[in-house]
Amino acid sequence: MKKGIYRNIALVTTAFAVAVITMMGVSWWQMRKATPLKTEVMETLRQLSDTNADNETLAEQVRELDLLSRKAYFTQESQLKKGGWILCAMAAVIAFSLRMYYKDTKQLPDKDLDPIDEWLTKSRARRYLGWGVGAIVAIGLIVVTMNGVKERKLAEVNRSTGQQVNKLADDSPESEPTTELSSDSLEGDRSTDQQAGRLADQQKSDSLEEKSDSLKVPAPPPLPKLTWNGFRGTGSTGRSAARGLPTSWNLGNGKNILWQTPVPRHGYNSPVIHGRNIFITGADSEKRELYCFDLWTGELLWTVAATGITGSPAQMPDVSADTGLAASTVATNGKQVCAIFATGDILCTDMEGRRLWAKNLGVPDNHYGFASSPLMYGNTLIIQYDNNDASRLIALSASSGRELWSKSRKDKIAWSSPILAKVGSQQAVIVMGNPAVTAYKVSDGEELWRVECLSGEVGASPCTADGIIYAASEYATCVAIRAADGETLWEAGDCLPECSSPVATKDKLYVATSYGAVCAYDAATGEVVKQHELTTPFYSSPVIADGKVWIFSNSGKCYIFSAGKDFRLITSFDTGEQTFATPAFSDSMMVVRSDKSLYAIKKK
Amino acid sequence: MPEISFAATILPAVARFPKPDFTSGYQYPTIVHSVPWETFWSWVDIGLLVVMMSLVAWAVHRRRSRGVVVGVSIVSVLYFGFFRTGCVCSVGSIQNVVLALTDSGYRLPITVLLIFLLPLIFALFFGRVFCAGVCPMGALQELVNVRGWRLSRAVSWALGFIPWVYLAFAILYAATRSQFIICRFDPFVGIFRMGGDMGIIIFGVLLLILSVFVGRPFCRFLCPYGVLLGVVSRVARRKVEVTDSKCINCRLCHHACPVDAIRQPNEAKVAERRTTGARRVALYLLLLPLLTVGGGLLLQSQSDTLSMAHRDVWLYAQLTADEQPDVLTAEVEAFHEMGRSMDELEASVQEVKKSYRLWSALAGGLIGFVLGCKLIRLSLKRTRNTYEVEPSACVACGKCFNYCPLKSQL
Repeated sequence: MKKGIYRNIALVTTAFAVAVITMMGVSWWQMRKATPLKTEVMETLRQLSDTNADNETLAEQVRELDLLSRKAYFTQESQLKKGGWILCAMAAVIAFSLRMYYKDTKQLPDKDLDPIDEWLTKSRARRYLGWGVGAIVAIGLIVVTMNGVKERKLAEVNRSTGQQVNKLADDSPESEPTTELSSDSLEGDRSTDQQAGRLADQQKSDSLEEKSDSLKVPAPPPLPKLTWNGFRGTGSTGRSAARGLPTSWNLGNGKNILWQTPVPRHGYNSPVIHGRNIFITGADSEKRELYCFDLWTGELLWTVAATGITGSPAQMPDVSADTGLAASTVATNGKQVCAIFATGDILCTDMEGRRLWAKNLGVPDNHYGFASSPLMYGNTLIIQYDNNDASRLIALSASSGRELWSKSRKDKIAWSSPILAKVGSQQAVIVMGNPAVTAYKVSDGEELWRVECLSGEVGASPCTADGIIYAASEYATCVAIRAADGETLWEAGDCLPECSSPVATKDKLYVATSYGAVCAYDAATGEVVKQHELTTPFYSSPVIADGKVWIFSNSGKCYIFSAGKDFRLITSFDTGEQTFATPAFSDSMMVVRSDKSLYAIKKK
Repeated sequence: MPEISFAATILPAVARFPKPDFTSGYQYPTIVHSVPWETFWSWVDIGLLVVMMSLVAWAVHRRRSRGVVVGVSIVSVLYFGFFRTGCVCSVGSIQNVVLALTDSGYRLPITVLLIFLLPLIFALFFGRVFCAGVCPMGALQELVNVRGWRLSRAVSWALGFIPWVYLAFAILYAATRSQFIICRFDPFVGIFRMGGDMGIIIFGVLLLILSVFVGRPFCRFLCPYGVLLGVVSRVARRKVEVTDSKCINCRLCHHACPVDAIRQPNEAKVAERRTTGARRVALYLLLLPLLTVGGGLLLQSQSDTLSMAHRDVWLYAQLTADEQPDVLTAEVEAFHEMGRSMDELEASVQEVKKSYRLWSALAGGLIGFVLGCKLIRLSLKRTRNTYEVEPSACVACGKCFNYCPLKSQL
């Protein structure tokens, strides 16, 4: 009788425990990736509240919904915790009941599983051990071998693709297309150049397939490992891990020049590298275009024009000659590449040049011309849209163009570009404006901190290293701000840039100015530790790569400094072509956009 | 373990809920974190460890009482398990000791050293009294075990090789400053802490359900500290005995043992010729160095793959991957943020890989050596006239005492 009670308690508690586990499982699954403040209603209310700052009712609604979401989340979390304790108590009751139920039940001798003779059991154990270890080693070896085969196949694919590329580069670009392409393969607004290029590609490719056995061309370089995803590289750090770069080249005799190619339309934007692709834009009064060049050959792979965009102005806005219509550098995340022009047109394509989406953000009221470069963080495209009429920070989905969030900014017009930095544990975007340096959360645009320290026309962009944000602008200041809390660490006013953006390491901050001074600040104190008076203006930004600081003057002179303690000028030489853009770096290559052309530098 | 913690994968609430924007000018108060009184509790842990192991030793060797062991198990689960959240752990302390031996920059807390050594010292005198009910993991399994489903001993012996492999990998990853895998994959810590990686918690719950029917599956087939205690227990001054009277071979204790640690009488009558057995032992003795070297070379050949467990190697692989992910990982973001150079990272990666080449060879050698020793041991014959407790397998739970009909004569 008594035993029966314990059995029943165990059974009922087990049933309850299963029910609790089920409920907790469902609750946990719901909470797993819940972001209650990111609902559509919340986002809409927030945006409405941002644009109607004086509407107190709207603000109150946002607060109420915010509070409700927080309460719901934490109540659910607390219930989950309580559920855990209830489950433990139930487990204890089940264990106790079962122990009591089986209290007087002895494990009586039964038929042995093993042979009575221990020797036979040991023989079996030896066999099991041998089989087990042998099977694990065999499986391990199979996995390793398969991985090896996979890698070899991948290398083979890369090699054969590269052979085709090399062969195409050797062939005459004027070869006549003979094959028609289906319309499906020509989506978007490609130019006729691109079509011709594609046709030629196909023809050459077919020809290559026929002759593949007889082709004996050298293997191409492997796919580069380093990317340069936007203005001043990935995350806009201005630093690259590239190595083995030549410290001299000559466009005249081709020394250390891998290739040089003209750019169809003018632009001050800088090259961006991802995989084998180089992206730049160009624009004039007729067209605004996004170009993709081949990293190894300099061949123009495709062109996409920003046409047919709703809201795009028929008449080009007035811009100054030294800004132009295509001053903003493109940004990519390896899946999409997005470009913005002085008309406010944004254009995003995939890596093959298929147009994904395009929209107009409103023609910027900008007396020099829009120049801020977008920034890509995963699928988020961030645009600093600071103009005379209104300043905003906008986040769009790179894949669809949908607005993720938009923040009104109090700052006046600026030409600076945003960068990525970590603020505490949060990923932030840092923006320089007039008068403030501001940190916003990447996820929802929430302002994390704001330091008012700038003035005038802000053209340079911030940089970061070792948890410190550096912002410098001509006629204003150079300031170091602790990223974690926005506290100003030091300010200096000795060496300030106009358009060129500084670059930093843990120890130094390097600045190139428009009046010819190139300086190294002590990152800890703000003291200028070394200054070179070069008497030539710099618009291009310095980049740190291969242990050196690389800077191009407007006149096209390349200066290479040691990035170590002494900030010594290693060498300088004229490239022969004016240069305003910041160079891009790949594994052991540098790609420079001059006023006339695009060229790649690699040690030969 | 106290020195290295592994964050739970659950998205922290702070990431979902930013602080509200107060327009009223409200300032958030500065959060003051009190310094944890960890040293005090560490010494309380040591004190309780000694007291509880002493109690078990007394109960097992003097009283032959299971009741005390059960009582100690309940206290251990409540204190070491739920109160101290399973992190005063002799099992995991292996890694701290290895790290201290291989890295001069790592300071091993004396309390952690004691937590590692004390159970071994007690095992040297009294057998595996730590496993009996002082280890919260063993105690938890012990308390839920109500049935004694038996496994084939041949299977048990073969599975007994797994903890050695686990130990070898734990040493490898600790010595190379990569990970504390024993802590990371501790199946019960999620239960004690009411949170953590859901996969590990589910694994822990499944192990507990298995423990209801099969005696201590974790202790027998996974615990890397258990194998060290088993080795030391072989030479224990006092080994656990079911009775101090002459065994009457009633078989009752043999079937009662939840961990199958009681060996039946064996006359070593085998069909195999004596010379065949001797040749086999001689072959395994010859194979022992080959297995050791072979194991070392085999694992060393995979050292580059194994080194991916190290954060720098993993980071380097991510940074140099052909295809960059949509969303940057926190580590890659931090790398860009901190301004570390690729040269610096590459130098670190080379150093780590070099270290992996050495330690994977040693870990593989250990695995090969243990495999050889196991094969030799499984090839030896011995005669037993009565039921005997195998000291390396016995966890001193005392279950057999209640079964022995000679108990009343004590």
